[in-house]
Amino acid sequence: MDKRLTLKIDKIVEETTNIKTFTFKHKLDAKPGQFIMLTDFEGGEKPFSISNCTKAKFSITVKKIGDFTTRLFNKCVGDYVSIRGAFGSSFFISKNKVLLVGGGYAVPTLYFLAKVLLKAGAHVTLINGARTKSEHIFADRFKKLHIDVINSTDDDSFGEKGTSVDVARKLLGLRPKLGNQKHDFDFIYASGPEMMMKALQDVIGEIDYEFLFERYMKCGIGICGGCTMDPLGVRLCVEGPVLSKKKVEQLTEFGKYHRDASGKRITF
Amino acid sequence: MQRSLKTEFLSKKVTSPLVLPAGVMGMAFSGFNISIKHGAGIVTSKSLTLKPRKGHKGPVVAQFEGGILNSMGLCNPGIVDGLTEIDQFKKRSRIPVIVSVFATDLDDFLELTKFVNKSSGDFLELNLSCPNVYDEFGVPLAASKNEVFKIVNAVKSISEKPLIAKLSPNVYDIVPIVKAAESAGADALCMINTVGPGMMIDTKMCRPVLHNKFGGLSGPAIKPIALKLIYQAYSEVNIPIIGMGGVTYGEDAIQMLMAGASVIGVGTAVHYRGIEVFNKINNEMVKFMEENEYQNLKDIPKLEKLKILNCESKRNING
Repeated sequence: MDKRLTLKIDKIVEETTNIKTFTFKHKLDAKPGQFIMLTDFEGGEKPFSISNCTKAKFSITVKKIGDFTTRLFNKCVGDYVSIRGAFGSSFFISKNKVLLVGGGYAVPTLYFLAKVLLKAGAHVTLINGARTKSEHIFADRFKKLHIDVINSTDDDSFGEKGTSVDVARKLLGLRPKLGNQKHDFDFIYASGPEMMMKALQDVIGEIDYEFLFERYMKCGIGICGGCTMDPLGVRLCVEGPVLSKKKVEQLTEFGKYHRDASGKRITF
Repeated sequence: MQRSLKTEFLSKKVTSPLVLPAGVMGMAFSGFNISIKHGAGIVTSKSLTLKPRKGHKGPVVAQFEGGILNSMGLCNPGIVDGLTEIDQFKKRSRIPVIVSVFATDLDDFLELTKFVNKSSGDFLELNLSCPNVYDEFGVPLAASKNEVFKIVNAVKSISEKPLIAKLSPNVYDIVPIVKAAESAGADALCMINTVGPGMMIDTKMCRPVLHNKFGGLSGPAIKPIALKLIYQAYSEVNIPIIGMGGVTYGEDAIQMLMAGASVIGVGTAVHYRGIEVFNKINNEMVKFMEENEYQNLKDIPKLEKLKILNCESKRNING
């Protein structure tokens, strides 16, 4: 039986005005890419990617986007919330040269991934993009990992100018020239808005990859079918949220539509 | 010689007697795709309503030792979009689809039936028994033999698809209800819907786990109840029964057949054994048939029917 855990919030870090990291003292035994379902029993239970996980603690990083997250933002250290998980698939852990491409509030899960990749001996390069400086997160934390980081903002307010995909295009475009070894990546990981990943797919070329997807989730345990992706029927809460290149290439809904709580298709 | 799980259900040939029931994986056409890829022989849509419903707020599931409580709250994209998903599935598959519909009065059921008549779905299932919308709609229709008769009878008169009545286990006496459904013209019964409802409490926060507070039970704990009710129904009616409730292993499916089911629903087990559960159970059924030298499903014996009692002379507590 999957246990429900009701835990006190141990620490809250304000990343930006509308992004916070919540840390809990509990050995979660999660892998990078996995998520938890979280509720405060006030209405709503939502999936959140794990942004850090150690032997004693784990964290989620949350953007305030609706009623549920607004309530979560009003909670204090010591307040209870209830979680289930960790659920879902996790990222493949490479030992080689890898590129991580992140955008916006979906970047923090790549922090957990980068730490595990480093431990496995991988050489990690990260593109950390956001729309603007005030929304750019985790730059300091990634810096401390001593990996190659390229920060970027769409409006040129921090790091390089352009989207994560613009930076990736440039970086990967350097490869063919003179057999540039520096940018010869074996594997690419992406976590960001779906349209970012869709654009990234076009610049990746032949390199193998995994993308982390987001869909409306209800049960979290693979029964309700609310988060299946067409036409494969992969359940994002079980076979996802991390999907392989082979699966992503077969998805007809990728970058086109997702489904709301009723199952109705919503165009991106 | 290879043992065969092939059978017929309401004149449709099926490769496996296992049915994906309403409410499980049936939101999008891709949920049907993955279920048949892994061995389901018939699939059922989410119960569709005239208008889209977002369902209850979470948590919508709570797990306990014997199964799962759920209060999804009939989330579905509405009859129009729901049938579009079914049509998309049927373009590429011959697997029969049961279109499940939910309404609270006869007019809406008739309206839904007209939509289903025009669809590519194979069967129409009337969900008369959702236990999780009590606050909104009150006691399920399946609690009353008169309501069951009235709705099945009227829908049957206009339905161009064979009609299945999905019944509730949460009644004191199932017999008058199954008889009402049959005499009103139901072509098959689907039973059981979830049991209870029940509840769970988070002790640290002193709150009900489900936002809806109450939710229907499914999973291994309800199998004995399902077997009993299916056996009672089988003893009383001559229409086929889709038997479900806690079926997790091949052994459970065989028990359902012996109790009188023609085909068998597998829902919650998708959580316990993965979406591959259909083929796992198929293989376990074949193994049982090999060990017991049954060639076909119809060779598997059924229980001797219960002696028919004169129920109508007993005090009728189902109204």
